[in-house]
Amino acid sequence: MSGVFIEASGLKRHYTLGDQLVKALDGVDLQVKRGELLALMGPSGSGKSTLMNLLGGLDTPDDGEIKVDDKVVTSMDQNELAVYRQREVGFVFQSFNLIPTMTAQQNVEFPMIFSGVAPAKRRERASELLERVGLGDRMTHKPTELSGGQQQRVALARALVNQPSILLGDEPTGNLDSKTGVEILSMLREFNDAGQTIILVTHDPRLEEFAKRVVHMLDGKIVSEDTAAI
Amino acid sequence: MNLRDITSLVWSNLNRMRGRVIMTALGVLIGTAAIVVLVSLASGIQANATESFSSIGALNQITVFSGAAFVDGGREAQEATLLTPRVLADIEDWDEVEAVTPRVSFFGQYTLKLNRLEGSTTLVGIDPRAADALDLEAIEGTNRLGRLSVVVGSAVAERFFDPRNPNFDPERELPDLFGQTLQMEMTRFSDETGEAESRTIRLRVIGVLEEVGGESDTTIFMSVSDMQELNTWATGNRPNPDRDGYTQAIVIVADAADTIEVENRVVDLGLFAFSATSILQQVNIFFVIIQAAFGGIGAISLIVAAIGIANTMIMSILERTREIGLMKAVGASNRDVLTVFISEAAAIGLIGGIGGIIAGIGVAEIIDFIGGQFIAAQATAQGGAADPVSLSVTPLWLPIFALIFSLFIGLLSGIYPALRAVQLNPVSALKYE
Repeated sequence: MSGVFIEASGLKRHYTLGDQLVKALDGVDLQVKRGELLALMGPSGSGKSTLMNLLGGLDTPDDGEIKVDDKVVTSMDQNELAVYRQREVGFVFQSFNLIPTMTAQQNVEFPMIFSGVAPAKRRERASELLERVGLGDRMTHKPTELSGGQQQRVALARALVNQPSILLGDEPTGNLDSKTGVEILSMLREFNDAGQTIILVTHDPRLEEFAKRVVHMLDGKIVSEDTAAI
Repeated sequence: MNLRDITSLVWSNLNRMRGRVIMTALGVLIGTAAIVVLVSLASGIQANATESFSSIGALNQITVFSGAAFVDGGREAQEATLLTPRVLADIEDWDEVEAVTPRVSFFGQYTLKLNRLEGSTTLVGIDPRAADALDLEAIEGTNRLGRLSVVVGSAVAERFFDPRNPNFDPERELPDLFGQTLQMEMTRFSDETGEAESRTIRLRVIGVLEEVGGESDTTIFMSVSDMQELNTWATGNRPNPDRDGYTQAIVIVADAADTIEVENRVVDLGLFAFSATSILQQVNIFFVIIQAAFGGIGAISLIVAAIGIANTMIMSILERTREIGLMKAVGASNRDVLTVFISEAAAIGLIGGIGGIIAGIGVAEIIDFIGGQFIAAQATAQGGAADPVSLSVTPLWLPIFALIFSLFIGLLSGIYPALRAVQLNPVSALKYE
């Protein structure tokens, strides 16, 4: 479990809002090892979501470099980025982003349509993950028939279905009450214990207890770092 | 993504905006139906016209006139080619030509008599050797013309009536001409005195022809040599074809496909010629233009429908912005996104197209039925034959073309919305409210 898996250096991401230049990221260096559970914390506008989007290949920096498993993500073209997101990254969002017309099962299968997994294999893998997040009896339910916590568990199963090397969560507990929030966090922790590298963006203070490493950001820069003694 | 995934994804996406898809597809349906109905009508008119034209003459026959016949003024004799027996023999030697015959009319006045009945019709002299090539097929007797024998068309009997019986009933009293001897009473007027002079000759009917639905049904055929003799008496001059040529001849082409080519060669000889085939060719060009114009009107409504599809798709993409962001986040390539949205638009086109073809053929059938009855009623009222009339004819290529066209229109109108979907920034798409 040693050795740097994700290496970000000198990341800058600027954009203009009206006539104002916003330095969302202003020179960020970050190294993550395989199997880490890392929380990016900071107030709104501190750049933590921007950093996560760059790590997930959804956005490209104005300057700097990201290497994942020695592959330079920041020099990939659109198609290579799509493949990178498909194989290496799983996303969990604050608002779940489930497709409302699909059942839980179909939502979990959705990413595998694009990675070309055979239908039988898709069903098998989706059921397996839904069992693991405790929704074995809810597979044919549509998102509107599920509670917030259940929806986020479907989203979690979906994020993991292509066996990504990095799981990225953008405020995964943000839309949940504290009890279901804790449920999701402990589930994330379980996957991490099984070896899954996880990076979470949050300002949920409870996460500080769950994460093994917490990085604090402010104004587009990393300001401090704690490593939990677990 | 394989075809099955695209199909099921497109199906569930269209299903979710069912109302809008139906409305939009309805636009395509109307456009496609308009194309099918209008082009079917144009084809129907063409088919009717073609049928009428084929009664002018068989498609492998060319009617040829001496060049002189149509040249005005005094230049005629030197420049024009005459239809002399030698010219006809030359034409007959061409590989594509099956037979050539002069076609000589009677130049005098005459009445045909059969017992109490009288009648008159077209008398034509032909080369007896060309009878088979002219498709003069005898259903009774023979078509081998000999001296003072004639072969009559199927409807010649109907040209007879009883001048002394005003209640003559053609249904019951029409003669069976086969085997009969017709009295042909010819009249001529002396040049000097203007006095009428008559002569009667006897013509034996040795054959009755099969009905062909054209001019020859009411024609009496005899040999050219007989006709020349009749004309000698009627005009007082013995015709000299070697010097003056025949007025008219018929060239029969072995394969109707060569008709136009042979016709052109005949014209190159300095003769005048026409054929049902060449007229039909001209007329067909006209009908192709009509079909294109009618189809074009339908196509315009399809283009309007295409704008409808594009509009529906743009709406749908706005509503599904987050979903597009998600597709990208889970690793859909730009190509995947493009495929999904273009397929949705194409599917709307296809649904409308299938509906439009069914509706179009249905409407064409209804027009055919109602209009056909109306025309038949009109024809009967005016004493014409109530033959069934086909107002619309749907050629097989039409529904196939309409389907491909509507699919293509859908595809085309999906391109712009799909490109918009592709260009969405996934980060902002995922945050879109």
